[in-house]
Amino acid sequence: MAPHLGQGGTTLLCIAITVPAYILVRSLYLRYKHPLLNVVALGAAVIITALVVLGIPYKDYVPAKDIMTVLLGPATVGLAVPLYRYRQLLTRNGAAILGSVALGSFLAMMLAAFLTKLGGLPSEVVMSILPKSVSIPFAVEIAKIYHGVPPLAAAFVVATGTTGSLLGGWLLNLARVSDPMARGLAFGTVSHGQGTATALMEGEQQGAMAGLAMILSGIFTAGFAPIVVWLLEFVPAI
Amino acid sequence: MTQTLKALGQLAVLWLVYWCCDWFVTFTGLPVPATVLGVIVLFLLLVSGIVKLHHVQDAADLLLKHLVFFFIPVAVGLMEWGGVFYEHGLILLAAILVSTIVPVIAVGLATQRMQRRRG
Repeated sequence: MAPHLGQGGTTLLCIAITVPAYILVRSLYLRYKHPLLNVVALGAAVIITALVVLGIPYKDYVPAKDIMTVLLGPATVGLAVPLYRYRQLLTRNGAAILGSVALGSFLAMMLAAFLTKLGGLPSEVVMSILPKSVSIPFAVEIAKIYHGVPPLAAAFVVATGTTGSLLGGWLLNLARVSDPMARGLAFGTVSHGQGTATALMEGEQQGAMAGLAMILSGIFTAGFAPIVVWLLEFVPAI
Repeated sequence: MTQTLKALGQLAVLWLVYWCCDWFVTFTGLPVPATVLGVIVLFLLLVSGIVKLHHVQDAADLLLKHLVFFFIPVAVGLMEWGGVFYEHGLILLAAILVSTIVPVIAVGLATQRMQRRRG
């Protein structure tokens, strides 16, 4: 179906699929406000299905992706605005924020690496999943140091971001975490930018805290990585 | 009209900060995402008063309202990795699920407890 459109036509078609999918899923979320109606996960699922049905391979979707994400950089920089509005929260809760994010970063890295090593996966896969809770540029650098595979590391980052965005709100409800600061920090620590975007849909304070946690967890993960890699040596592969 | 122009001007400020950080990271080879550096730089500019909230807030609020949109095309990229996930499916699924669920709850509960104690 798609081949006779040429790359320009395919790119337009991809944008024409993505934007309405976003509008549809977003309005669904805003109507029902259910955390499992995650905009990123559901939107991507709709689009992947459409691409498969239309026979468009991912490489033909890439130019459309590049056009649509051109504002991602400036948008993320904009996180400084809610962070600045809630700056008093930072000075008042500095220790709680640092402690929680450090704990979360360590757990996320340790559990992922421990389970994959125990499961007998090759070392390059284990080292690629290690930094999965941080933004892609951080993750790629950390994976490289320990001989992981950068594109696979990036795929794990996206998989974790999607899983955390999808399950995060629901899990926090189950655990009765209602405090907006705590919810935001949990989203940002585990699911980086995707979690931050999801937290912003809950509220501005959640978004500000998630953005902060995203930055801190990137730094903590880089710092903890050598310790986790060292601990892994004591884990047997089954 | 003036609203639109104002928002565009603010977008230019955000873009300039991002672009400078991106350039800096590429130039120095620092293993830090340009966006993360950008948030820190803009935050410091706001705290020091060099940039005021009204220089950036309309554009920032509008972009952040739709921040999830930008991650949808990124998540579509997962379709490329179906093979790896298929081959080692169960272990990877378990690893990703456990290492997402436990820290989300741990961070949420830890922060909430520490806040309540301060009360």
